[in-house]
Amino acid sequence: MGGLCLDYSAAAVPVRENLQQTHREILEHLRGPGCWFRGAQRLAVAAESRAALDCALCGERKAALSPGSVVGEHDRVSELSPACVDVAHRVRVDSGRLSKGWFERTRDDLDEGAYVEVVGIVALLAGMDQVCRALGIPRFELPEPLPGEPSRQRPANLVSGIAWVPMLAPEDATGPEADLYVSEFVPNIMRALSSVPSHARMLQRESITHYVPMDDLLNPEAGRDLDRTQIELVAARVSALNECFY
Amino acid sequence: MSGKSQGSEVELASVNGEARGDAGVAHGAELLGFVEAVMAGDDAQLSRARQSLREVLSVEAFVDACAVIGAFNVVDRIADATGIPLDAGMLGMSAEVRSELDLERFGSSANTPREGA
Repeated sequence: MGGLCLDYSAAAVPVRENLQQTHREILEHLRGPGCWFRGAQRLAVAAESRAALDCALCGERKAALSPGSVVGEHDRVSELSPACVDVAHRVRVDSGRLSKGWFERTRDDLDEGAYVEVVGIVALLAGMDQVCRALGIPRFELPEPLPGEPSRQRPANLVSGIAWVPMLAPEDATGPEADLYVSEFVPNIMRALSSVPSHARMLQRESITHYVPMDDLLNPEAGRDLDRTQIELVAARVSALNECFY
Repeated sequence: MSGKSQGSEVELASVNGEARGDAGVAHGAELLGFVEAVMAGDDAQLSRARQSLREVLSVEAFVDACAVIGAFNVVDRIADATGIPLDAGMLGMSAEVRSELDLERFGSSANTPREGA
């Protein structure tokens, strides 16, 4: 994992190595080419998601009774397509009020796979940024992009109709995706990004170090130094504030 | 309004922000105050909440709390942006809690078919 050196010194507490390692992996993941975007484009998505926090349109929509009632243009920081920018901003700022109708309209301008790639970038960065905020340290600077072209490949056997986006069931994960899932029980959240397999892999690694190991998801006794009840209280309050049913 | 976790009663109103207190969880008040401060934009409030939590948790447990906040900011965005339904196995297990918390008020509940539908 050459090159990326992240500074936790302002946290004033030791941050366990597996968290630091995951943060380096996420940034390495984001700066490389994916399925639909080059590294520079993925980092542009990341930058847009951070810019959303200060975007006037996003602020107005967040405050509105219905986000669809507010029209305008995002305060953008990249040359990405308007659809990419809109997804990056909305997923970062107001994901709890995304609707299937909005998704279907977005799909007219953005390939489903590209949509999933943007969602994964925004979500992974939002989580890492919130860890930094919680620890009391500045969020990490986005790294330089790595060269390379997107693979433009989808896994075989994706199934549509369960979620808005197609997903790969564990029993259908074969060939390059045979090792995609690392646990016996694979909840929908871990399948959600499977049309971009590298995102699904990164999400699982992130979840293992930040939440609980995958095989312990259904074990109510499994915790860390924070016990499982405390973990679930924190998780539930975060999800309530994000207006997330799942 | 309560639910069970690890055999103990959890005050669910605190999850919704409808009640103050520890929610029946060890250091629950400090944990909830910290989560709310991280998710809000007030840095001074966050600094106070962080200090309060640090006073009652070990360093390792504090870092765990920060990590879980990060994890669910990832999970929530992915779940809501991809329209995944709640897993079948979780539907029955969580029915009472979902009802108590009135989670169907969230738009993303539309992604999970109603039981019996």
